[in-house]
Amino acid sequence: MTRNSATVSLPNAPSIQWFLPLIWIALLAMCIVGMPLLEGLFRWVEPDARQVVYDRAAFYELLGRHVLVVSVAAVVTIAVGVAAGIAVTRERGRDFLPLVGQLASLGQTFPPVAVLALAVPVLGFGTLPIIVALMLYGLLPIVRNTLAGINDVDATIKEAAQAMGMTSWQVLRHVELPLAAPVILAGVRTSVTINIATAALGATVGASNLGDPIIAGIVNGNMAYVLQGALLIALLALSADSAFNVYQQRLRQRLSAS
Amino acid sequence: MSLIDALPSPSFKRRPWHPNVVLLCLSGAMLAAAWLLSFVSVAPNRIVSGTAFGMVDAISWPGAALVSLLFIAMAALSSVPTSRHYRAMLGIIILILLLMPFGLMVAGHWLVDPSLPQARLGIGAAYWTVLFVLLLCLVELRLRLGLSRWWPTLLLAGVGIAWWGCAALWLDRLALVQEFQAREGQFYQAVGQHIALVGTAVGVSVVLGMLLAMLMRRYQRLQKIAFTLLNFLQTIPSLALFGLLLAPLAWLAANVPPLAALGVSGIGNAPALIALIAYSLLPMVRNTYIALEEVSAETLQAAKAMGMRTGQRFWQVRFPLALPVLLEGVRITAVQAIGLTAVAALIGAGGLGTFIFQGLGQAAMDMVLLGALPILILALIVDAGLGALADALRPGGQE
Repeated sequence: MTRNSATVSLPNAPSIQWFLPLIWIALLAMCIVGMPLLEGLFRWVEPDARQVVYDRAAFYELLGRHVLVVSVAAVVTIAVGVAAGIAVTRERGRDFLPLVGQLASLGQTFPPVAVLALAVPVLGFGTLPIIVALMLYGLLPIVRNTLAGINDVDATIKEAAQAMGMTSWQVLRHVELPLAAPVILAGVRTSVTINIATAALGATVGASNLGDPIIAGIVNGNMAYVLQGALLIALLALSADSAFNVYQQRLRQRLSAS
Repeated sequence: MSLIDALPSPSFKRRPWHPNVVLLCLSGAMLAAAWLLSFVSVAPNRIVSGTAFGMVDAISWPGAALVSLLFIAMAALSSVPTSRHYRAMLGIIILILLLMPFGLMVAGHWLVDPSLPQARLGIGAAYWTVLFVLLLCLVELRLRLGLSRWWPTLLLAGVGIAWWGCAALWLDRLALVQEFQAREGQFYQAVGQHIALVGTAVGVSVVLGMLLAMLMRRYQRLQKIAFTLLNFLQTIPSLALFGLLLAPLAWLAANVPPLAALGVSGIGNAPALIALIAYSLLPMVRNTYIALEEVSAETLQAAKAMGMRTGQRFWQVRFPLALPVLLEGVRITAVQAIGLTAVAALIGAGGLGTFIFQGLGQAAMDMVLLGALPILILALIVDAGLGALADALRPGGQE
């Protein structure tokens, strides 16, 4: 099986793999730049409104802030989640394993709106509360998958690595993490995709991002605004999801090839 | 390996010291939080943010000493982990939980000026941190003692009732209680609406989800289409789906009188319910499908060999065996729906989210708490309750 999958990956395979995410990203870019050109379409949706294209902020600016919020939350979540997952699977941290598992699933029980509302009194209005809410909400998939990925590594492989004279750090770095990487990446993918949609909630506490047109649309009864926000967020989520998909497949190919 | 290594070596060392590091750390964290973070805050009225007070200011030296002593006792008990010590720690945790409202009472007595009728007491960061860490301690103790999920839930329910009594009788200076008293009727109505919306959405999606999952098992082609569609639905932010349903439903209500008579309108329950059901379908269908597929083929074959008919095999073998995983789906769906219903308040569906968004609009954080806390508690109760039910229904009893 290993040989076969190695020969399947032809030299030009990567460019074909990137086809789908590139289409989504191109669509997203086209919508960002060309939203005013679609005015006729939105006029048809909302014939009576004074204005049909959201213009309180440029779309690329909203997109930039949306991506920024999600990436900051993702970077922190990945760092904390993977570190916690590694720490509790070591010999010394094993005592914490059940608690961390329970804690991560407890985090998913807290509804993001409630976390957002509770974070506002402490952190004030703006971008910070939504980042905290996203971090808490996105932690579970990453911690769960890191634990699963590392625990699933065959004990005999680890023993073999130790017998070869590897230190425990080397075993982690060169054996456990590479073997667990596809599972961890799947967790990151779930976490980021969910958070791109959830970040829109930040608009209710004054963080300006792609949720802004949606809130403005709901408040003013303007469907065109809601559509624009929803379209851009869905495209962003699909771009990220398909990009992760490609990366995951390449990782898997490399693992089975070597 | 030399021969010396292979021989059993006599041990001169004493048995190494094995404290429960987790509980030791948690106790230390609570002690630090109680001393370093703000204990309570006092505000002259509803909008102004209060001034924070530390533990010694709030409950004076004897109170602070008692609190510290309890945390130190927990740390001491966790350094020699035996089953009896764990039980003692459980007792201390309950004691701390029961003492918490008394701390607030004392602080209210000392710090709030009785001549200002609008003055109110806010709960500080130390309280929330200690409460959260105590919850973690309970989780850890439950795992160590191997208790079922019912016990902590029952204990916490008892503590909750005690708090409710204290709040109703003596804690009228607390900001949260004042907010509650100002809109008591509204609060109960909102809780009722919230539960009704979640219940309806979950109920409908359980039935629809099971039907869909069974259809998928029969028609394989449907499976791919349905999962693609439901996955795509999840990428649309809940906020947008609520918003997008406003226009078509308003149009329907205006142009189809029978629907309007049924209560369908652009704003309110109808779009909220449709969106909630749409979001609930994916976890429900996925878990039902997996649950029904995972039942082992050998068991089913044995049932067939015993002469069971198709219907009997489904209802007496496949379904009961699938039930725990299916309930897991209901749990995920219900917890998710409780959070989403809060967002539905933005389109006029009512529920506890109303308080959150009104409070955010008025910058009245205690009102936000009045909405957010019950949502959180509701989510935790549903999570624990359905989790315990799934455990109990697992073949062979509890895990």
